[in-house]
Amino acid sequence: MVGPTASLSNLHRADGSASYKCPATGFAVLGAVNGPVELPARRDALKPEEATVEVFVKPGNAVPGVGEKYVEGILRDVLSTVILRREKGLPRRGVVITLAIVGGEATERGDSYLTLLPALLHAAQLALISAAIPLPMTLATTLLGVTRSGEIIRDPSPAVAKAATSLHAISFSSKGHLLMNESLGRFDFDTWELVRQQAATICRGAATPGSDGDAAMGGTDNAHVDGFVRETVEDHLHRDYNWKLESI
Amino acid sequence: MSTPLILLPGDEVPKDQLPHSKSNNPLKVGPGLRLLSQPSAKPTSSNHVLTATQAGILTTDAKRNNVSILSFSNRRYIPAMNDLVIAQVHHSSVDFFHCIVTPHTAHALLGQLSPQLKQGDLVYARVLSVGVGAGAEVEITCVHPATGKAEPGGMGPLNGGMMFDISTGMATRLLRASSSSADENEGVDGLVVLSELGKKLESIGGFELAVGRNGKVWVDCSNAGENEVKATIAIGQCLQGTDEHNLNPTDQKKLVTRTLKAMKL
Repeated sequence: MVGPTASLSNLHRADGSASYKCPATGFAVLGAVNGPVELPARRDALKPEEATVEVFVKPGNAVPGVGEKYVEGILRDVLSTVILRREKGLPRRGVVITLAIVGGEATERGDSYLTLLPALLHAAQLALISAAIPLPMTLATTLLGVTRSGEIIRDPSPAVAKAATSLHAISFSSKGHLLMNESLGRFDFDTWELVRQQAATICRGAATPGSDGDAAMGGTDNAHVDGFVRETVEDHLHRDYNWKLESI
Repeated sequence: MSTPLILLPGDEVPKDQLPHSKSNNPLKVGPGLRLLSQPSAKPTSSNHVLTATQAGILTTDAKRNNVSILSFSNRRYIPAMNDLVIAQVHHSSVDFFHCIVTPHTAHALLGQLSPQLKQGDLVYARVLSVGVGAGAEVEITCVHPATGKAEPGGMGPLNGGMMFDISTGMATRLLRASSSSADENEGVDGLVVLSELGKKLESIGGFELAVGRNGKVWVDCSNAGENEVKATIAIGQCLQGTDEHNLNPTDQKKLVTRTLKAMKL
C-alpha cells in the first residue's frame, strides 16, 4: 500500500500551512492556519480565558453548504481538545483553520464527510504544528470500512466505501486517548470493538508489549500514522535548520 | 551534541539533555516547553517533567541555564516584554499612537511622550508591557520610561529607507547575530550574509539596518548617493533569499555576489 504524503509550510502568507494527500482514498487537502489573531466582529462572544478555534472547510467544486458546516463542527470539537487554548498569547484570540479540498472524488450534496475526515484532520494538525500553535499532543486518524463479509479494510477507496456496510473514522492522541469516533452504517458492538483495536494499531503502532520496539517498526510496510506525522515534521525541520545542523 | 533532538508536541524532554549548571540559577524554560508535574506514589518527592508544546529542535544554553524549542520559522510573532519591534503608526489618539506590530491583531499603543509621528511612519520600539487580563493592550515605547530620554540602540522613528518582511525565525537569528561579537569568521548561527554585504558595500557608504522581532527588517543606504535605491533593494533581496531558501554560508556568499552583480553595484 502506498502511504500518504504531506508537506509543510507551503503557503507564504499564512502563519502555518500543510498539504496532505492520501493515495489510497485519493483525497488531497490543503490546510492553512492563522493564529493567534484578533476576532473583532464577535468580541463579546469570545470566552475571556481561552482562544476560539474556527474551522472552515472549502469543497473544491461547490460553495460550502450544510454538509461542510456539519463537518466543521466535528473538526472544531476535535481540534479544540488538542490546542492549548489558555497558553500565553492565546486567550481572547482566535485560531482560524481553513481547509480546502483540492483533490479526490467530489462529494455530492447530502454525502457524508466521513471518508474525508482523516485527510482533513491530518492537514489541520500539520498546519497547526507548522504555525507553532501550542499543542499538548499530536493526533492520528484513520478510516476503516467493514465490508459485507465482515472484513475490515484500511483507507477504503470511494467505491469500496460506498459498498461497505459500515464506515468508521477514529482518532487517537499520541498519548492513547480516543479523541474522535464517527461511524456510519449498521454495525454491532463486537464489530466496533474490532475496528477500534485495529484503528489503535494503525494510529499508534503495535501496542502489544514485548514487541521489538520502535527501531523495527520504522522499516515495516504498514508504518503507523503517528510515525508518519513525526517523520513529516522532522524532515521539514531538518531542511529548515540545515544552517544550524551543518555547523554542529 | 551530535544529533539534534527534534521534539513533537507532547514529547518529554529527556532528563540527560537538560543543562547541568553548577550555579544556583534556576533552570529557565523558554518558549515551546511547559512544566508538568506527574503524580507520584510518594507525596514528598516531586516528579516534574518538561514537555514540548511545539514541534522543533531542542536547544539548551548551559551558560545561561535555559532550555527552549526552536520551532518553525514563519510562525506568528507574539509580543513579549523587552522585544525590539518595528511598528507602523496606524492612527493617533489623545494619549497614544496606535501602531501595527503584526497583521490581524490589536494595535500596540505607543505613548505620546515619543516624538511627533504621523500616520504610516515606522518606529523602532521596545515592548513595554504585554498586558494581562481582559481588555489589556500591548504597550511599546521608544524612550526610557523613567527618564523620558531616547533609549540607546537607535530607538525612535525610522526615517527614509525601506522595510522588508522576513520570517520571525530569521529576525531572531539576525538579532542574535548582531548582539554577539562580529569578529567570528563563520558568523553567528551560520549567518554570513550581513558581514558579506558590509564588506562589499563599504565602498559606497555602507548601510544601516534595524531588525524587529515581529519579522520586519528596515534597511537604509542614504550614504550611497545615487546607488541608494539599488543597494537597499539588493540588501532586502539577499536577506529574504537567505531566509526563504535556508541558505548555508557558502550559498549566502554566492547570493550576495550574484545579487550585487545583477544590480551593477
